[in-house]
Amino acid sequence: MASRTIKVDYIARVEGESSLQLHVRNGAVDAVRLSIFEPPRFFEALLRGRGFGEVLDIVARICGICPIAYQMSGVHAIEDALGIKVDAPIHALRRLLYCGEWIESHALHIVMLHAPDFLGYPDAIAMARDHRQAVERALALKKTGNELLRLLGGREIHPINARIGGFYRTPSRAELAPVAESLKRARHQAIETLRWTAGFPFPEFVRDYEFVALRHPDEYPMNSGRIVSSGGLDTAAADFDCEFLERQVPHSTALHSSLKERGAYLVGPMARYALNRDRLPAEIRALADEIGLEPVCRNPFRSILVRGVEVVYACDEALRLIADYEPPPRPFVPSEPRAGIGHACTEAPRGILYHRYRLDAEGTIIEARLVPPTAQNQGVIEEDVREVATAGLDLDEEALKARCEQSIRNHDPCISCAAHFLKLQVHRT
Amino acid sequence: MSNRDQPLVLVVGIGNPDRGDDGVGPAIARQLRVRVPSEARVLERSGDPLALIDDWDGIPSVIVVDAVAPIGEPGRIHRFDLTEGSVRIAFTPRSTHAFGVAETVELARSLGRLPGDLIVYLVEGERFTTGAPLSPAVAKAVDEVAELIIAELPRISSDHEAATGASSHA
Repeated sequence: MASRTIKVDYIARVEGESSLQLHVRNGAVDAVRLSIFEPPRFFEALLRGRGFGEVLDIVARICGICPIAYQMSGVHAIEDALGIKVDAPIHALRRLLYCGEWIESHALHIVMLHAPDFLGYPDAIAMARDHRQAVERALALKKTGNELLRLLGGREIHPINARIGGFYRTPSRAELAPVAESLKRARHQAIETLRWTAGFPFPEFVRDYEFVALRHPDEYPMNSGRIVSSGGLDTAAADFDCEFLERQVPHSTALHSSLKERGAYLVGPMARYALNRDRLPAEIRALADEIGLEPVCRNPFRSILVRGVEVVYACDEALRLIADYEPPPRPFVPSEPRAGIGHACTEAPRGILYHRYRLDAEGTIIEARLVPPTAQNQGVIEEDVREVATAGLDLDEEALKARCEQSIRNHDPCISCAAHFLKLQVHRT
Repeated sequence: MSNRDQPLVLVVGIGNPDRGDDGVGPAIARQLRVRVPSEARVLERSGDPLALIDDWDGIPSVIVVDAVAPIGEPGRIHRFDLTEGSVRIAFTPRSTHAFGVAETVELARSLGRLPGDLIVYLVEGERFTTGAPLSPAVAKAVDEVAELIIAELPRISSDHEAATGASSHA
C-alpha cells in the first residue's frame, strides 16, 4: 500500500512558528514530528552576566501572552536564592496579578483560538459574524484581565512593576475598586462563555496522561506548591532535575521534557484541575458539575471546559483578593546580593513553568534555566496527534489535517515560549 | 445624533517609540496632539491592538497611523480607506496568538463595530532596532503624514455635517 505524507506548513492559531509532519506507512501512522523551527531565542544565555534585579524585566519579554508567569517564576526563584521571604499582602497581590493573566490568556484561547475548531470556522473573525455575543464576551474578559495587568503590572504587555521582594508600587484600595466592578461583570461573562462551550460537539477521545501540576495545602495552585503528578510524583521545585529530563530532538528547536521514570507527561489546565479540583470552592465545583465536566478530564478536546472553569475561578479569586486587600506596609522587602542557587515553579496558564538561577556573591546571574510548559507538553502533543491521526486515517487530507491541528490547539501551545513552533505534513509511503 | 462627550474624529498612532521606526505612529500622534481642533482626539497606543475596538466605540471617524515593514522605500506613505474594503490578512505564524491591527479591523467589521469612516496611514520603516531614533526618511514622513491628516479633517467634518445635518435640523 502506498505511503502517505500529510504536511501542515504553518499551524495557525498558535503562538510561534511550527509545523507538523505525519508519516503514514502501509495504513498506519509511522512517525509524528512536531517541528518547532522558530529560531532559538537564547534567553538563558542573555540572562548570564546580568544583575538579579534585571531578571524580571528580561524574562517578561519572553511572552506577550504570559509575561506574568515568567515574572512570577523568576521572582520566586531569585528570592529563593537570596533567602527573601515576602509579606503576606505581597503574596496576595502576586496571586491577583496571576488571576489577571489567567483571565486574559484563557479567554483569548477559548473563544478566539479554540472555539472556531468546534464550530467549523477558519478563524475568530469569520466566527464573529455568527457568534457576535461570544466574541464580545471574550473581548470584555480579555479587557478585564488586562486591567489587572495594567494596574498591578504597570502595563498590559511586558509588565514592569514586579520586582524582587514585591512591587515598585502597590495599588490603593480605591484604585482596585473599579477593577472589582469589571470583575463582577467578567464573572458573569465567564459563566456565559463556559455554558456556550459546554454545548460544543466533542470528539470521543480519551488519553491516559500522567498529569503534572503544583499542589498547595490550601490554594488552587498559582505561585506556590509542590510538584505532584497522577503517577505519584511529589517533589519540591528544587528537585526538578532529579525527576525531569530535558533532551534535544533533531526536528525541534525546543527541548523535549520527560519524567525520568515514565516519559511524557501533561501540564496545564487539565492537569491542574485533575490534581486540584478539591482546592476549588464548592460553587466552582458545582458549576463544573452543572456543565458536565468530569472531575478528571482525560479528553484533551474538552480542555476548553477546564479553561472556562478556571476563568470563572480566577474572577472569583480576584474579587476575593480585592475584598480582603489591605495595602502592604512596604511595597517590597529589601534584598541583598549573595551567592546561591534558587528554584521556583509556578502555574502559567499553560502549565508549570520552572526557573533555576545560580548567582554569585554580587548577585550576578551565572547560570539560568527556564523550562516552559509548551516544551514540557511536546511529547504529549505528538502522542495525541498520533492517536488522533490513527483514528482518522480514513478521513480526506483536509479533514485529517484539521483534526490534527485541532488536537495541537487543545493544548494552547505557545511556541515562542517553547523555542524555542505550526506547519502539518503527512507523509504516506 | 452624536454624543456630546465623544469627539468627531479619533487619530491613533500605533507603535513602540523605543523600537526605531516602529515609533512613527506615536511621533505623528504627538505632533498632532497640539494641532488638531477640539472635535478631534489623539491617542498613542503600544499595547493590545484589540483595545482599538473600545477606543473608537461611538466615534464616527477614525484615522490610524502605523509603521509597516520595509517593502522597498523607507518613509513611503500609504493611505487606505478601510471603511468598505477589507484588509488582506496574511496570518503569519509569528503573530497568530496576538491579534494585530489588521486582524482587529476585520474582527471589528465582523462584529459591526467598525467606525463609519476608517482611514489608515502606513509608513514604510527602515530599521526597528531597540532604542534607535527614527531613520531620516521616516522622520521626514512624520511631518508629511501630520499635514495630510490636518488637511483631511475639514473633509471629515463636512462629511459628518452632511450625514447628520438633516436630522439635527429636524
